[in-house]
Amino acid sequence: MTGLDTASSAPGGVRFLGTRGAYWRLLIRGAALLMVTLGIYRFWLITDVRRFLWANSEVAGETLEYTGRPVEILIGFLVAVAILAPVYAGFFIAALDLGTLGQMSGAIAFLGLAVLGQYAIYRARRYRLTRTIFRGLRFHQGGSAWGYALRAVLWWALTGLTLGLAYPFQLASLERYKMRHTYYGDLQGRFEASGFRLLLRGLPMWLMLLAPLALAVVAFAEAVDWKALGEAIAAGTDSLGSRIEGGNPQLPDVIVFAMLMGGTSASLAALLYPAFQAVILRWWLSGLRFGDIALASNLHMRNVYGAYVRFLWYGLLLSIALGLLSIPALMLIGTIGSKMPDSIVAEAVGSGVALVGYVVMALGFSTVYRATVLLSLWQLGMESLHLSGLSALERVQASGTPSSAVGEGLADALHVGGY
Amino acid sequence: MAQGIYFDGHTSARHDVGVTLTPSALQIAAQDGRLLAEWPYEEIESLAAPDTVLRLGRVGSAVLARLEIADPAFAAEIGARARNVDWAGRNRRRQQLRVIGWSLAATVSLVAVAWLGVPAIAARLTPHLPAAVERKLGDAVDVQLRRMLDTKTLGDGFDCGVKESERPGRAALDKLIHRLETAAGLPESLRATVVRRAEANAMALPGGHIYVFEGLIDKADKVDEVAGVIAHEIGHVAHRDGTRSVLEAGGLSFLFGMLLGDFVGGGAVVIAAKSVLQSSYTREAEAAADAYGAALMKKAGGDAHALATMLAKIGGATEPGMKILLDHPETQARVRAINAVAANPTGPPLLSASEWAALKRICAR
Repeated sequence: MTGLDTASSAPGGVRFLGTRGAYWRLLIRGAALLMVTLGIYRFWLITDVRRFLWANSEVAGETLEYTGRPVEILIGFLVAVAILAPVYAGFFIAALDLGTLGQMSGAIAFLGLAVLGQYAIYRARRYRLTRTIFRGLRFHQGGSAWGYALRAVLWWALTGLTLGLAYPFQLASLERYKMRHTYYGDLQGRFEASGFRLLLRGLPMWLMLLAPLALAVVAFAEAVDWKALGEAIAAGTDSLGSRIEGGNPQLPDVIVFAMLMGGTSASLAALLYPAFQAVILRWWLSGLRFGDIALASNLHMRNVYGAYVRFLWYGLLLSIALGLLSIPALMLIGTIGSKMPDSIVAEAVGSGVALVGYVVMALGFSTVYRATVLLSLWQLGMESLHLSGLSALERVQASGTPSSAVGEGLADALHVGGY
Repeated sequence: MAQGIYFDGHTSARHDVGVTLTPSALQIAAQDGRLLAEWPYEEIESLAAPDTVLRLGRVGSAVLARLEIADPAFAAEIGARARNVDWAGRNRRRQQLRVIGWSLAATVSLVAVAWLGVPAIAARLTPHLPAAVERKLGDAVDVQLRRMLDTKTLGDGFDCGVKESERPGRAALDKLIHRLETAAGLPESLRATVVRRAEANAMALPGGHIYVFEGLIDKADKVDEVAGVIAHEIGHVAHRDGTRSVLEAGGLSFLFGMLLGDFVGGGAVVIAAKSVLQSSYTREAEAAADAYGAALMKKAGGDAHALATMLAKIGGATEPGMKILLDHPETQARVRAINAVAANPTGPPLLSASEWAALKRICAR
């Protein structure tokens, strides 16, 4: 038996061994197969992606191992479809009812699917953890998925009501629940980062986004003559717009101002999004604990921006390539259209080309995003880590059993899946 | 004999071990020579690991014991002896080819179900749907459709024939509908209305809703042309085409939405797929509605040729994306088919000259 200090060559105990080229090859081949198999290949692709990321993540000299199998996710997905089909059919029938039930069915469906989505997220996390092996031991997760779903939905409601101010506390609370029920062998996890500290770090960004919107609201309140507006609405529906305008001469200016402010807020949001991601990732990583093992991250914001710059660059290249490819496609449609005007063939070819073009574009950008931003976030997150208390790794005992893949299938069917 | 790293699956402790290959098994020994484990070759499998490392475990074992070999030559030797060890990646490539083959087969069967199965199921199901359900379905679709069509007036006078000046037009429309309805002898009553849309078009929904667009009335030169199009739409109502297409759309969006998953934003594909598939479903339905319309015009004493005239007139003139009446652009063939069955008008005119003039002004405001 040798000591851990000699086992790892990485200063923080964590390294990422994968190369970008290998990941690109994996994703591009996967995208091509997704296209010809109408997406069925996704179970195999997500498994390949996880095998790659796990196997190339080295902690204390040993790499992680992903043991999930595509076929079990496929079966989990089919089980999820069997569960969801009657639910969807019920919503469809309820929506046909024109009474209160029909009116409410949209809201009920939204709430029901929101809870179910969170439930699926928790169960999918359990699936991924129990398929993660490190040094011959399994990770696993206890806790109640329904309990988590209820908490998550209540937190989301609170976050919405507070315009996002509760979000740091939501993240901290939900992460505490998840980590408290997460185990590596018999080593229990916990989460020690504070929501309040995240709030302090995120508050400047929040203010920058909200200030333009607040200005717009104030401008509206100042400019609109509420009495005249009320009278205009009360007077009837005929040419309502012109009468509202008549009573409020400043209204067009205010609308222009509000649109400018909304645009400012939206562009700021886009510019600040990488910073937001970096802050959260660093905060989250630094809060993770397993027994005596503590994680600390010194993730640099500029590296996250670098990842997004690479995404924009490859996205631009892809756009140019797609633009060049679309010229012969458009010429083909033009030729067919001029030879056979009014024909179903021309129409079908046109729709077919549009459909293929859309799929290629969507898959292309999703592949570029995965190969640049998502891979970089994983790699930067890993390499920014510094682990302490690693001697605990010598004494962990095996525990936990693999869970079913229904949660993963449900998450896929509900479109809330992830890594 | 080679060096390896061994985890026994009970604790996380790492053991540096010596590995020897006997004729039937792989032996794992501690540094002091003590035998830690002996794995028969047929029970060994290779597991996910970085490219430079061969990671071994035991097939189907609940204990996750792991052995890692970093020496490529030794790894290749194990690969040669143990069937489930895939150092060269040959098994993996074969498996991948199988997956691709089956996925392609599944794709073909999915498309076949979407192309043939869904319409067939919808067609079988439609006749068994009770009239009350169909009416409810029609009302639900009606709400959605009004929202989609009513882009200009926003609920403010979308229906023609409501204002005082438009009433005579409404009365003329009612008379025309009544005459056609009597001739058709449908089990349920029709709910026809003219709406403010500039396209020359008309459409039928489940449950007897018929929409005639203002643009169609404007384009018509005589009452039989409007009547012919309405008779065509009554054909859709009688054949319950609207109900069938709603069932088809529901089935398709379920099929593609659920199965395609979220690797791409699935929503847009669903809609595109639906529109591509549905424009091909409705060709036979359109021909049947033409035949029904021509026969109905004959029965009602009108001029069935007028339907053909109207079709030819609006054939190329509808806006792109709005082709509900003319879902299928082989207009000339349709015109020929209608004219083949049409006869000259027999009874009294469908509307008097003054009633026709009133109908032309139904959207006058």
